[in-house]
Amino acid sequence: METIHLLFQGIVQIVTEGYLTMLLIGLIVGMAVSVMPGLGIVMGIVLALPFTYTMKIEPSIIMLTAIYMSGTYAGCFTAILYRIPGEPNDIPILWDGYQMSRNGKTSEALGWALISAFLGGIVSTTFMVGLAIPLGKLALQFSTADYFAAVFLGLTSVVSLAGSSINNAFIGLFVGLIISTVGVDSIYGSERFTFNLAILVNGIPYIAVLVGMYGFGEVLTRLGRKPVDFFSKSGPVKTNTRFPRWKDIWEIRGTFVRSTILGTLLGIVPGAGATVTSFIAYGMEKQYSKRRTQLGTGLPEGIVAPQIGSTASVAGHMVPLLTLGIPGSGATAIILAAFLLHGVQPGPLLLATAESRVTVYTIFASMFIAVIGMCLLSFPWIRVVVRVLSIPPAILAAIVIMFSLLGTYANRNSVTDMIIIVVFGALGYCFERFKFPISPLVLGVVLGPLAESSFMQTMISHDNNWMAFFDGPIRGTFMFLSLIALLFPLFRNMHKRSSFAHAEAIS
Amino acid sequence: MRILSATAAALSLWALASHVAAAESPEHYPSRPVEFIVPWGAGGGSDQTGRELSKLLQAHFNVPFPIVNVPGGTGNAGMIKMLSAPADGYSVSLLAWDTFALLASRPPKWHMSDLVTLGIVIQLPSGFYVAEDSKFKSWADVEKAAKANPSGLKVAISGFGSPDDLTIRQLAKSGVSLKAVPYAEPGERYSALLGHHVDLLYSPIGNIGNFVSGKQMRPILFFGTEPIKGFEQIPNARDVGYDISLPQRRALVVKAGTPPDIIKKLSNSLSAVVATPEYAAFLKRELASPESYVPTEAASKLMESDLQAMKKMAGKK
Repeated sequence: METIHLLFQGIVQIVTEGYLTMLLIGLIVGMAVSVMPGLGIVMGIVLALPFTYTMKIEPSIIMLTAIYMSGTYAGCFTAILYRIPGEPNDIPILWDGYQMSRNGKTSEALGWALISAFLGGIVSTTFMVGLAIPLGKLALQFSTADYFAAVFLGLTSVVSLAGSSINNAFIGLFVGLIISTVGVDSIYGSERFTFNLAILVNGIPYIAVLVGMYGFGEVLTRLGRKPVDFFSKSGPVKTNTRFPRWKDIWEIRGTFVRSTILGTLLGIVPGAGATVTSFIAYGMEKQYSKRRTQLGTGLPEGIVAPQIGSTASVAGHMVPLLTLGIPGSGATAIILAAFLLHGVQPGPLLLATAESRVTVYTIFASMFIAVIGMCLLSFPWIRVVVRVLSIPPAILAAIVIMFSLLGTYANRNSVTDMIIIVVFGALGYCFERFKFPISPLVLGVVLGPLAESSFMQTMISHDNNWMAFFDGPIRGTFMFLSLIALLFPLFRNMHKRSSFAHAEAIS
Repeated sequence: MRILSATAAALSLWALASHVAAAESPEHYPSRPVEFIVPWGAGGGSDQTGRELSKLLQAHFNVPFPIVNVPGGTGNAGMIKMLSAPADGYSVSLLAWDTFALLASRPPKWHMSDLVTLGIVIQLPSGFYVAEDSKFKSWADVEKAAKANPSGLKVAISGFGSPDDLTIRQLAKSGVSLKAVPYAEPGERYSALLGHHVDLLYSPIGNIGNFVSGKQMRPILFFGTEPIKGFEQIPNARDVGYDISLPQRRALVVKAGTPPDIIKKLSNSLSAVVATPEYAAFLKRELASPESYVPTEAASKLMESDLQAMKKMAGKK
């Protein structure tokens, strides 16, 4: 009851304090960056961050969260219309979405995406708001061993969905973990892998790796292609949205339920971002949905699952951020930074006082409004998208590179970080070129420091007794789930082999 | 703000180029924005001190003192950034004692002689805190428990080699052996204490005033020289027989080799701005010592003696 009361208090605050403007700006920025190939959600939030300095904490976080929310959605337009994923999490959507569009059902495809984003957003936000206080109380019980176990699960669960090659995913992950150790170590202060180079002493920030490999690398990849491929003209496109019928929705209710639960749950686990969730949701449909054999030929399930997964993960990610202070994804890492810039430390303490609880619930309330707002905005936005994509590739590339460099420089006021971006951009290009997965490496870089410090803290406080990672209910559960995540691909591979001919028929 | 500071940085770069061409006379200092480096992230204790000073210095000189946050390596990244700029007084930095203590334990790539101190601007007493519902009612309880079970009690500190760590090591030499667990992020330290994952927390008082007033934590021992206003009943380490007083201090520094006239101008201005009622109000808000400010020469002497003390505590000469 208190939850509902607080939530309404939040809505009242949003309306009376004029936060709706910030929310709207956030939604528009999110939609703008997510349709720009190469310009990601993370970049959108980074670019918006300086504007929040002079604002109060609530509108700042509301704006950044709105960017995050709408950023997981609007990229599907370009995926469905042009086969260009605006964001990495839109990649699974284009498999069926673009097919559906080519089958002449563009409006239907857009409609399915809209309804998925709406349901995924609303249901997972409700779930999160309902459980935030118990989770907040649980959060103080989290010891460093529990943190480590949670991060460990984050590391393993991603490897389990590595795609074609588990080995490559592991190689990527470990390279990422090594990169995260470069610089002065946070526990003992020794320099590692710095080779006496000034540029490496202060470490390699994961934002630079992320922007380098995804943003910069993507530009290089795109420039390496023929311009014809860059903007394949698909003729005049109908830009209206047709909603699916209730009967059709009911038919694939399993997909809706599975993807929403998965999206929210994966969101709570640090490390699994919208992209990872989107891929897992699609993968799950490929294994469990009724029409799994036809997936990839333009089925609504192929749009619904990744879209729900992506959007639901946003609400999921806000739980560890607000209750534990753990950023589960690149986007939440920057939202965390915004909190800290305003002198607010997200974590158990945020829910401890009545005053800051109102702040939290105002943010929650804004997420409901953001979901509704982003769906309404999508109607005019699709018309704009068609025009944005007509920017010549060379100019677009220049814009993206400029934003990548500026955004990262602003992060630490460091010129060396700009060099790091260029290096990782080249690496990202090579990875893309040789079909090596990028996400495991980025995950290693993101989770590495957290994994290391929580591991070291636990070992120090438990006299190097490694059983400390297993002897509690929270850490025990996480470790058990990690084990399943590590073994699951083995079973899947065995299963795959036994039904190889069958699988061939699908793809 | 960041865009502003980036613009200001760009402007000062441009000005720098013209500066190299035609050397500027110290009388006209400062004729362009002065970069104010805070070697810690935005929002923390150093950042708040830096922003307060930047605001006051800006009003005093009538040129902007844009804050540039350069976090990383216990404040090392910011120091290196300041030291790589020309010694012309257009780049100043805050030096926190966490960073300064590195000189005692694991020498960074810079030395005391690379810096000129304009003055110590804030001094905060540090202390041990327990959770409000802790079984320890007084320092005597902690002492008893620590002596009965050496290294059995855990204390959250900011990192090894920090003043926190040096204090714990010094206590161990006096027979009170505690196990220091490093948590780099302040939030982690506070959560660790509130979640009972550690028994004690070592911290400068300014950062945790909220928890104390919110009845979530209570101080149990301070490492200062005189009783702290509002907490007169809490003993200082000296009162209970330990000769340890290592407060958190922060100084404003410039690169050595800066023209003496400019140093003089800066340090005189600093002593003027810290005497303002605004700064006094800031110190009060932070629960800092009202007589925090130490002028240039005295500050250098104090730093020298602090460094000797810290080297002794770290077990090095």
